[in-house]
Amino acid sequence: MEKERFEKVRKHVRSEAALEAGDVLNKIKDNFPDNPEGMNYFYDLLSRQFSEGILPKNGKKVIGTMCVQVPDELILAVDAIPIRVCSGSFPYDNAGAEFMPAKTCSMIKAIMGLFSVENYQKKFDMLVIPTTCDQKKKTTEMLTDMGYETYSLSLPSRKDNDNSRHYWQNSVKEFAADLMKKTGKKITTSNIKKAIDLKNNARYEFRRFFNLRKKSPSVIYGKDAFLVANAYFVDEVESWTSALKNLNDELEKRVNKNFSIVNQKTPRFLFTGSPPIFPNMKIPLLVEEAGGLIAVDEVCSSSRLLYDMPAYDEGALYDMIPAIADCYLKPCTCPCFVPNEERKDKLANLIDLFNIDGVIYQSFSGCQLYEMEQKLIGNFLMEKGIPMLYIESDYSKEDTGQLSTRIEAFIESIKIKKKSDLKGKRATK
Amino acid sequence: MNKFKKYINNVNISRFRFWFQIFAFIIMVYGGFLSIDIGENLPTFSCPYIDKGGGTCFLMGLQHRFTLPIDQLISFRGLAVLTSVLFFVSWFIFFNKAWCGYICPLGTLQDWFTKLRQKIGIRYSNYSEAKFKKLKKIKYILLGLLILIPIFMANSIPFIGKLSHDWAVPFCMICPGRTVLPLFQGDASQLVIDYGSKTKMIFTVLGMAITGMFFAGAFFKKRFFCFFCPMSALQFIFKKLGFLRLIKDGTKCTKCGDCYRACDMGIREIADDIESKDIIKDDCMMCFKCVAACPEEKCLKVNFLGKTIYEATEEGFYKRQKGKK
Repeated sequence: MEKERFEKVRKHVRSEAALEAGDVLNKIKDNFPDNPEGMNYFYDLLSRQFSEGILPKNGKKVIGTMCVQVPDELILAVDAIPIRVCSGSFPYDNAGAEFMPAKTCSMIKAIMGLFSVENYQKKFDMLVIPTTCDQKKKTTEMLTDMGYETYSLSLPSRKDNDNSRHYWQNSVKEFAADLMKKTGKKITTSNIKKAIDLKNNARYEFRRFFNLRKKSPSVIYGKDAFLVANAYFVDEVESWTSALKNLNDELEKRVNKNFSIVNQKTPRFLFTGSPPIFPNMKIPLLVEEAGGLIAVDEVCSSSRLLYDMPAYDEGALYDMIPAIADCYLKPCTCPCFVPNEERKDKLANLIDLFNIDGVIYQSFSGCQLYEMEQKLIGNFLMEKGIPMLYIESDYSKEDTGQLSTRIEAFIESIKIKKKSDLKGKRATK
Repeated sequence: MNKFKKYINNVNISRFRFWFQIFAFIIMVYGGFLSIDIGENLPTFSCPYIDKGGGTCFLMGLQHRFTLPIDQLISFRGLAVLTSVLFFVSWFIFFNKAWCGYICPLGTLQDWFTKLRQKIGIRYSNYSEAKFKKLKKIKYILLGLLILIPIFMANSIPFIGKLSHDWAVPFCMICPGRTVLPLFQGDASQLVIDYGSKTKMIFTVLGMAITGMFFAGAFFKKRFFCFFCPMSALQFIFKKLGFLRLIKDGTKCTKCGDCYRACDMGIREIADDIESKDIIKDDCMMCFKCVAACPEEKCLKVNFLGKTIYEATEEGFYKRQKGKK
């Protein structure tokens, strides 16, 4: 009886999730002109994720990861497949809300909903969860309780001294040892070198993509950029890299032909805060449908995902594994770190590089760290004279109307400012 | 021009340095055979104890010149000290601290030890940064002593009197350059303990002990001896005059720490200091491995007289990492 009811719920939530994903994808595809051909791969992949599921069936071990700090080179080295399980799906969020505390952030609820509704116990050989924020931390135990194999990857709260660096290096080493035990495969110099190269190829294309987005007026919408990075969560590295290479080549042609999707007057935004994960593209879509452009972002589901590259000095495990560890800790601008001055520096740098007119700051309600850091970032941007719109939201659609009014007003004000700035520039010429 | 620049920026600087060091080593250690003598007052360990070396280390002359009574030191004879410093500085400014990273034969020797360790596959040892920071001050103490001891050989210390001549060239007596480098010409005569006097015995025993530590240290910690090198301390005083510069643009830095990883001297500021432009620290030997390991476009640069000759690029970084074995 209970089993039947459970089966019913699962079917229901699954179909709801597929519907939502289809809806958002249609919006992304149909509401905008000039979608690059190269994006089709990513559209297809993400729609497949929700209609058929994309868990690999090739017999390889599957390791679920949460947060950007999980060094997936190690997972690739033991010939397993890393899949980032952070979810942006509202139906799963709803399912999670049934048993999670009311003030939990949507992403955590969605993850918990996903793992409670779907019986993934046999499909994931391990779930790796770094000790980033309190909510992520505690999910580890809850998931263990549900019968999942979990691994809590211990991350320090500070990254600015050598002690925490060594602490993190050691916890990555322990993780590597555990992975070897679980998978029965050894990490060797040659397979880790291969894994680093594999991921560095992806990073190289990702940087190319990042650089192509600097072009103003832009050659690609922010909503597409989010999807590209989101696809990395679930795709195999090689195929993702070659798909992105195609897209980059296409965008390069656009740059050479001076073709752009928007005009000089379109306000350019920097998106930061809680990560938009497909299908939760609510805020990015609202911004771009209202005539803004998300030129770049500073979120862990997109720009932060593949930007930093490790550099090892000696081609031996004792140097390569710490090098991998370093590249996940030191440059990370997650608000779970104190102090997190690097985030301000990074934002300032991105504002300069990408010609940014305004910043959109999203926090999921219940995501305390981003909510609290908003004040600090807001003050910092105010000093720099960059306008910021702070949005607190979740995965539901209830607040869409109210949000779109606020976003439109923000964009309008920036357009006016931009116009007068342009005039001023012309006058001084 | 742009193509040339790109070629240079994609260069594997470690390989270039490896060959340059061999070249410099030959000149410094075997220069005499090729009738090359670059000169005195060199800001590097071109050890005068080598029979037919290619030049002379400044520290030896410095210790001799300071063996003067104070009243003479501040009179005309003091000018000799000044002119030698001037010569030293004029040699120094061309390459700045790259004298350490590219030319110093003792440094090169340590790098070869590191290479050997890597080949065998033994791991390097880690030390806590805080402890090492204190040890690193030793080089300034050595620098102070190598000037003060010669002065007290010519001037009497209250209650003790003048130091005897056995105290001559005190740093050379404990420098591993004196014991090790002549070996390359088959001369092992420095590897002895001098029983001539108590002072001499202590100095030579110390010298032998430090030589042992030099070998053992170089094997487990990259450039171990350089942390204590008074030449490095002396050079650092004049670093502002150098034509060759290591420049950092902190706004482009993400503090990813790749440069810190690459740094043989473990200088953390290279990654964490985003304020300073001129980023050379006292331990820096200007090997420029940090520039090669920096993935941020134009974040770290090597300038010569204000002109950029080598800089960090994304492409160069990617190529170098991929080509690693």
